[in-house]
Amino acid sequence: MDILINLFKEIAVFLVVAYLFSKTPVFKLLLTKDFSYSDYLILYIFFTSMAIIGTYFGIPVHGAIANNRVIGAAIAGLIGGPFLGFGVGLTAGIHRYFLGGFTALSCGISTTFEGLMAGLVHSYFVRKGRYERVFDPDVAFFTTLAAEVSQMLIILLISKPTTEAVELVKLIAMPMIASNSVGAALIMSLFRDQRSHFDKIGSSYSRQALRIARRLIGELKKGLHFQSAQKIATIIHEETGVAAVAITDREKILAFVGIGSDHHKAGYEIASSTTKSAIKENKIIFLDGTNDHYICPISEKCKLTSVLVVPIRIKDEVIGTIKLYEQKNKFFFKINEALGKGIAELVANQLLSVRYEYQKNLLTKAELNLIQAQINPHFLFNAINTIIAVSRRDANKARDLLMHLSNYFRKNLKRNQDLSTIRDELNHVNSYLEIEKVRFQDHLKIEIDIDSTLMDIKIPTFTLQPLVENAIKHGISKILEDGIVKIKVFKNNGDVQINIEDNAGTYVEPHESSGLGIQIVDKRIKNLVGEDYGVKINCKSDFETIATVLLPGRGTI
Amino acid sequence: MKMKAIIIEDEFNAREEIELLLEETGEVEVIQKCANALDGIKAINKYHPDVIFLDIQLPVINGFEMLAMIEDSIMPRVAFVTAYDEFALQAFENDALDYLLKPVEKERLNKTIKKVKKAILTNEAQEFEIPPLKKIPTIAPHKIKLVDVDSLEFVHSNESGVFFSCGEKKCFTDLTLRVLEERTDLFRCHKQYLVNLDKIDEILFEENSAGKIRTVSNHLIPVSRHYMKDLKGYLGL
Repeated sequence: MDILINLFKEIAVFLVVAYLFSKTPVFKLLLTKDFSYSDYLILYIFFTSMAIIGTYFGIPVHGAIANNRVIGAAIAGLIGGPFLGFGVGLTAGIHRYFLGGFTALSCGISTTFEGLMAGLVHSYFVRKGRYERVFDPDVAFFTTLAAEVSQMLIILLISKPTTEAVELVKLIAMPMIASNSVGAALIMSLFRDQRSHFDKIGSSYSRQALRIARRLIGELKKGLHFQSAQKIATIIHEETGVAAVAITDREKILAFVGIGSDHHKAGYEIASSTTKSAIKENKIIFLDGTNDHYICPISEKCKLTSVLVVPIRIKDEVIGTIKLYEQKNKFFFKINEALGKGIAELVANQLLSVRYEYQKNLLTKAELNLIQAQINPHFLFNAINTIIAVSRRDANKARDLLMHLSNYFRKNLKRNQDLSTIRDELNHVNSYLEIEKVRFQDHLKIEIDIDSTLMDIKIPTFTLQPLVENAIKHGISKILEDGIVKIKVFKNNGDVQINIEDNAGTYVEPHESSGLGIQIVDKRIKNLVGEDYGVKINCKSDFETIATVLLPGRGTI
Repeated sequence: MKMKAIIIEDEFNAREEIELLLEETGEVEVIQKCANALDGIKAINKYHPDVIFLDIQLPVINGFEMLAMIEDSIMPRVAFVTAYDEFALQAFENDALDYLLKPVEKERLNKTIKKVKKAILTNEAQEFEIPPLKKIPTIAPHKIKLVDVDSLEFVHSNESGVFFSCGEKKCFTDLTLRVLEERTDLFRCHKQYLVNLDKIDEILFEENSAGKIRTVSNHLIPVSRHYMKDLKGYLGL
C-alpha cells in the first residue's frame, strides 16, 4: 500500500511537470503530427528526462525499484511513434541497467519494449487515419496497462533467481500497473485539453481576422479619408477590444476611437514622435507598456500607455499609419499585435486596388477626352469648304449644314457623361452624316435599320461616332464606286447588337492614332460589362467591312 | 494667254468651288474637272495642261501616286490642294511647292497663280520628288485593280493599248510605256515592249544581232537590234 501511495505522489509531481510543459512554447509542437528532426530531438529529450526522473523517484523494494519510468516512454511512443518510443525506452532502460540490482537487465529490456509497444499503438492509429486517438486517455490507460503487465512478465522470465523475482512481482505489480496506467491517462488527458484549447483560440482568432477583413473591405472601397477612416477605426476597435484605435495619414489624425478620444481628435496634426518616426523610417514601432512606455504628447492624464504603430505602405511608400493603444495595467495581447500588422497590410492592399481602379477610370476618361478633342480636322475643313461652296448656290442648304456642324461639335464638347441612350448616339451621328452626305453626294448612301424598342438602351457615350466615321473615312472615301453605310440595331439572343457596315472592305488594322477611337470603345465596353462584349471588326477585302458592337440586353448600366 | 488647268478633286462641291475661284482670277481656263486620279491621268495625257490643281486625298490612287503615272515630258505644274493632312503638309515644309489649303482664300490663290505663271515662263524645275511607281492601275470591270510592278514579266503596247498578262488574261492600263520605262525598273527591249529583268529565263540571239527573250512563264518577247546592245551592256555580256 505504501508503494502505491508513494507512486501516486510521484504521479502528482509528473502531472505538475506535464502541466508546466504544456504552458511552454515547446508544447505547440504537439499541435501538429508532422514532426521535424529537431522536434523529435526536443520530444526525445523531454520524455527521456521524464522517464529517468521516474527511475530516480522510484522506491527501492527488495533490491529493485518500484517506479514510474514507463510513463515517459509510453507517452513518447503514443505521441511520437515507434522510433521515439523505442529511443526514449532504450535510453531510460540503459540508464536503469547501470543502476544495478537483480532486475537491472529485465527492467532495462522491458522499458525499451514498453516504449516500442506504445509506438506501435501510435502506428496503428495513424494507419487507421485516427491520429487524434493517441491523445485519448483511455488509449493511454490501456496501453500503459498492457505495457506494465508485459514488464512484469519480462521480470519473471529474465530476472534470476526466479523465486526472488516472483516475490518482487507480487509486491510491486499491482501498485505499478495501477499508478502508471492512471498516471499516463491523466497526463494524456491534460495534453489533450491543452491541445483543444489552443485549437479553439486559433480558430477564433482566424474567425476574428476574417470578420475584420470582411468588414474593412467594404469601407475601403471609398479610399482613405476622414469618414472611411472613422468607420475603419470603429471596426478595428470593436473587433480587437483594444483601448483605442487611431488612423493617420502622413500628417494628421484621420480618426481616433476609444479611450482618450476626448483629447486625441481627428484633424489634429500628428503629435507623437513615435508615429512620426514610424512614418519617416517606414517601420513598425511597438511600445509594449512594460519595457517601453508610450507617453501621450497631448495630455498628462491620458490613460494610454502602450501603442503599436504600423505604417500603411503602398509600394514602399508610407501613406499613413494604423495605431492600436492599450491602457495602463492592461496587457497588450500578442494576437492584437499580429492583427494590427495584418490589418495595415490589408488596408494597404485594398487602397492600392482602389487607387488602381481609380487610375484606370481616370485613364479611360482621359482617353475619352482625347477622342472628343480629336475631332478630325480633315473633316472640319472639308465640311467648311463644302458649306462655302453650297452657300453660293443654296443659302438655306448652307444654313442647315452649319446647324448640323454646330450640333455635331456642341455634342462632342458637351457630352461628358459616361453613358448615353442609343437615341442620343444616333442623333449625334446623324449631324455628322448630314454633312458627309453633302460632301460625297451620290457617292454615299446611308441605310438605317433600328429596332425602335432599343432606342433607350444605354451604351457608352461615343460608341457609334468613331465606328461610323471609320466606315466613311477609311471605307467609302477610299473607293471609286458608290458607297453604302448601313447602321443596324437589333436584338441578338438576349443581347443588343449594333452593326456598322460599309461596302468598301478597305479596313486595315489600326496603327498609331487611326482607329484609336475604336479601341477605346471596345475597352470601355469590356470594362463596364465584361470580356464577352465589345467591338469586333470583320473585313472582307474589297467587299465589305462590318463593325459589330455587342452589348448585354440591358445595355451597359 | 490664259493658263490651261485641270482640277482633280473627289468632292463635287470642292471641285465647283475651286473652279469658280480660278475663273474669277481671269488668268486660268479650266479645261477639265476630274473626280479621281485615273480620270486625271487620262485628261492630262489628252490635254497636256499647263497646271493641275490636285487634291492629295483621292480614293485608290492619291495625288502623289498619280504624279508617278505621268510622263516627264508632259508633266504639268502642280498646285496641291488639301484640307488638312499632317503627313502631306510635312512634305511641303520646304515651301518651294505650291499648295493651297481648303477652304481656299482668294489672296493665297492669286499668289500661287502668279508663282506658277512665272515658273512656266522661266521653265523652272519643280521641287517635289516623284515617288517610284510600284503599282500599276488596270481597268477591270467595275473596278480598278492595282498590280504590283515586280510581279509583271513584260508590258506590251500595240494598237489596242498597253497591256500585260496577268494570269490567263490580258490586263490593260492607261499608263504609257514611256511612263512605265521612266518610273519603274522595267527594261525597254523593243519599241513596243518592256521586260522585267528578274523574270528572264533565257536570251536567244538571232543573226541580225536582234534576239528574243524567253520569260519564266515561257513568253517570247522580241529584242530589237537597237536595244540588244543596251541589254547586253546592262547584263555585263
